[in-house]
Formats: sequence, C-alpha cells, structure tokens
Amino acid sequence: MSPGSSRTRTRNVFEPLSASEVAQPWQSRFGIPEDVFSGYQFFRKAKSIWAISDAPLPRLSFESLGMRIMNIKDRPWKPTTCALQVFGKHATRNLVHLDEEQARLFLEGGTQVIGPDMKLDLAPEPASDSASYQAFDLASDQASDPVSGPMPGYVVVFYRGEVLGCGLYSHGKLISQIPKERRAGEQPGR
Amino acid sequence: MNSFSGGMDNLERYRDIVPDYEAFKAIQSRPLPGSCRINTLKIERDALLGRLEEKGMLCRAFDWYSLGLKLDIESPGKMVENLLGYIHIQEELSMVPPLVLDPQPGETVLDLCASPGSKTTQISQMMNNRELVIANEPSLDRVAPLRANCERLGVLNVAITRYDGRIFPRGPFDRILVDAPCSSEGRERRGPGTISRSSRTKSLELQKLQIRLLQNAVRLAKPGGVVVYSTCTYAPEENELVVNAVLDEARLEKILLPGLIGCPGVNRWSGETLSDDLLRCARYYPHQNDTGGFFVARLIKN
Ligand SMILES: C[S@@+](CC[C@H](N)C(=O)[O-])C[C@H]1O[C@@H](n2cnc3c(N)ncnc32)[C@H](O)[C@@H]1O
Repeated sequence: MSPGSSRTRTRNVFEPLSASEVAQPWQSRFGIPEDVFSGYQFFRKAKSIWAISDAPLPRLSFESLGMRIMNIKDRPWKPTTCALQVFGKHATRNLVHLDEEQARLFLEGGTQVIGPDMKLDLAPEPASDSASYQAFDLASDQASDPVSGPMPGYVVVFYRGEVLGCGLYSHGKLISQIPKERRAGEQPGR
Repeated sequence: MNSFSGGMDNLERYRDIVPDYEAFKAIQSRPLPGSCRINTLKIERDALLGRLEEKGMLCRAFDWYSLGLKLDIESPGKMVENLLGYIHIQEELSMVPPLVLDPQPGETVLDLCASPGSKTTQISQMMNNRELVIANEPSLDRVAPLRANCERLGVLNVAITRYDGRIFPRGPFDRILVDAPCSSEGRERRGPGTISRSSRTKSLELQKLQIRLLQNAVRLAKPGGVVVYSTCTYAPEENELVVNAVLDEARLEKILLPGLIGCPGVNRWSGETLSDDLLRCARYYPHQNDTGGFFVARLIKN
C-alpha cells in the first residue's frame, strides 16, 4: 500500500446537511428541541459540522461558514464549547451545575471528581432515542446507573444558570473541554 | 534615528493639521486606557454591568456609544466575561467604523480586511446575528484569530473568505467596510515605536494597496450602497488621498457621532489643494478623547 492511501480522504468542501440530521444528537443527548436549530443552515467539512444563519450564500470560495458546532473526528461526536454557549441553555438532561470553586477549575481546563452531593441532572434518556444517542455518548459498556449521575459522555456545564461550556463526564470525573486559548489562568495577555 | 524623541519627529509633518499639536505629541507616550464592547449576542447590557459591579470592577460607558466601556482593569483579556464572550476587548475608536457603516437588518455586508474581527463581530451584533456578513482576510495566519473571535462571541452570521481584497470577485453588497492595512500611527499608545517606523515613503507605498482596495469595494457595492473606509493612521497619503481616488464613483457623507470629538478631513496637503468634499471625512486624535487615532470616511456609491 502506498503511504497515505489507507487514510480516508477528507473532502475539503462544505457539504450541506439537513437541520434534522444535525439536531438529532443534540435532541437525544441533551433534550434540546429541534426547533432551536431552525433559522440556520448546516454544513460538513473536514472534521467539523458548521452552522450559519440561513441567508442565501453568494457564489464564493469559503474558508469557514459560521461556527463549528460539532467535531466529528472521533466517536462520540463532540459538541463545541462555543455551540453549547449558544444552544446549550435549552438542554434538559446531561447537565452539570458547578459551584464557584468548581467553575473556576473548569474554566482553567481542569479535571475534577464530581461527588454524589453534586447537583446533577438525572433524567435518563428516553428509550425511543436509544438508537441515536451514540453521537455524544461514550460506549454503552461504560454507562452508569442513570440515577447516580449523567450518562458518561459530553455534558453541558452550567454555573449560576449560565452555560460555561462542554465537559466530558466519565467514571465520576468531569474533564473540561474548554479550548486552550479560552481557558482562564496562565494564558498570556492579549 | 531620533532615539531621544522616541521617533516623535515623524509627527512633525502633521503640525499644521492637528489642533493643539503639543498635547497631541505629549499624549503619545501615555498608555491607552482599557476598553471593551458589550457583546449583545450573548448578554444584555444591564446584566453585564451588574456582573462587573458585583465584582467591584470599575467601568464607564463611552459618551457616544452605550455598548462601549472604559475599563480600569489590569489584564482585561483574562476576565471570565471576555473568555465567555460577553465582552470583546476593543479599542474605543475601533468601534466607530461599524457605527458609521450602520448595517441594517436584512442586508448583506462585506468586511474586506477583517482579521482579527473586532469590527466584523460588532457588525454581526448590529445585525442581530441574522443575514450575512462576509469577512474577508487573505492572510492564512490571521484567519484563525478571526474565526476564534467569531466563535467566542457566538457569531452565527459570518462567513470567512480569503481573497486578496483588490480582486475580491463578486458582489453586490449593501454595505462594505474597508478597514485597510495602514502604517498604524494611531496605535502608538498601544505599541510604542510605531510612529518611529512610519514615513511618507512607507505611506505612499501603502497608498497603492489602499486605493486598489477601496476602488474594488466601490465596484462591489450596490448603487446607493455604503462604503466605509477607515485606518488607524494620521498620514493624509493613506487617508484623504485614498478617498480622493474614488470621488468620481461615490460621494462623501458627513459623519455625525454626538459625544465624540472629531476633526474634519484635510482638503490641502503638501502644497496640493484637494476637493472640499474631503472635509466630510472624520479624523480622531488621541488627545481629544483620550483614545488612539483613527480616520473614517463614509461614501455612497453613485
Ligand atoms: C487594520 S487590519 C483589520 C482589522 C480588523 N478590521 C478589525 O477590526 O479587527 C487590516 C487587515 O487587512 C489585511 N490585508 C492585508 N492585505 C490585504 C489585502 N490585499 N486584501 C484584504 N485584506 C488585506 C491584513 O492581513 C489585516 O488583517
């Protein structure tokens, strides 16, 4: 085999996606209603899914179209922090509410143990959605008892009712997914 | 070079056009006060002001723009409010060109020289995240910060292109901003040494690029469409003399921003007499509002 031939080539064009296709994993994992995604158009390019207002696009060569809302490089697909800051407030499950100290650590990009006293959203996923929720969930063999916390996978992290961003919840730990350049703490001044 | 004057001799040629020239020269060595814009795509003004107050952070709204705040804070970039995209750290006068552009709901806007997107994102919020703003930035290195700012600020109506603005291919647009690459003399208070590196020769070099950018912008605008040309420099070679090159295709409109002290554009420079219409351009000097420096022109395509 010649070098590189085994890699799936990622097409470097924006391919349109339907709103319902895009909304489905958000609906099944977070309970975000599909109509939250109306008024936008969606595209897939390389490792990302993009969202932009549904205005007609002129015939130009685009470098980006709106916001990257999902990273589809690995399974499960990962919602971006910036997209959760826009759409995450409509989430009804797989949420984590942090206190001040925990929020600080989360914004610094840290990993923390989420204790049983944590304010978690316990709602189990509706059974009818089970086929689709692999999008944001980890493999089901890691799934914990739904009454002890959120399902392993990506969660919407809140502090005082505001969305801070995306966290990865696994084995009782919350791992911050805040992008490096947007972390609080030791970053250089701008 | 003039190491004792910190390069301020390069300002001498503006002595006759800048009011209170000595104050203008003196303020160059004083650091710029911090400022930011409230990002209404993510938070309401009152909620943001409440947060800052709760944290005991001092701020004061500009007299001329209620979403602009002077901030008395050590490193505002590290504020949680900035990381979460509730505010954008932006120089006070950098908020002028989008207001002069005045985008309206339902319009399609082109920002021809966009990175890092301070003005793109302000335009986006003025359009309530609807319709479309094309943010053009040819430099690959500068696309990443442009995109990062749009994403942090929750912007969903901006598409990024990477054309050389001189040959950006297609319009028409309702409004176009040309925030041109320039010698940046108005940024001296933020980046000391900028003025010591400026010269008439360099300005004339930049002028060639600036004229072609503005000419293409006028070509891409709809008839009756608005084209705003701005720089953060004082050199008339990069300002009025650039605007002068398109006055056959577009007419200048006077700029009114109550509460911000500005000066009219110049209509004579280095022995040359220019069109009186150029008086409708606006020049903002650092000692008049305790800011940086900026030039803005508002053109209506014929
Ligand atoms: C003054 S900066 C723009 C600042 C930006 N409007 C903002 O408010 O954040 C000028 C930009 O023009 C870009 N530029 C340089 N040559 C250009 C060209 N030929 N066409 C379009 N843009 C160009 C530079 O890379 C730079 O990012």
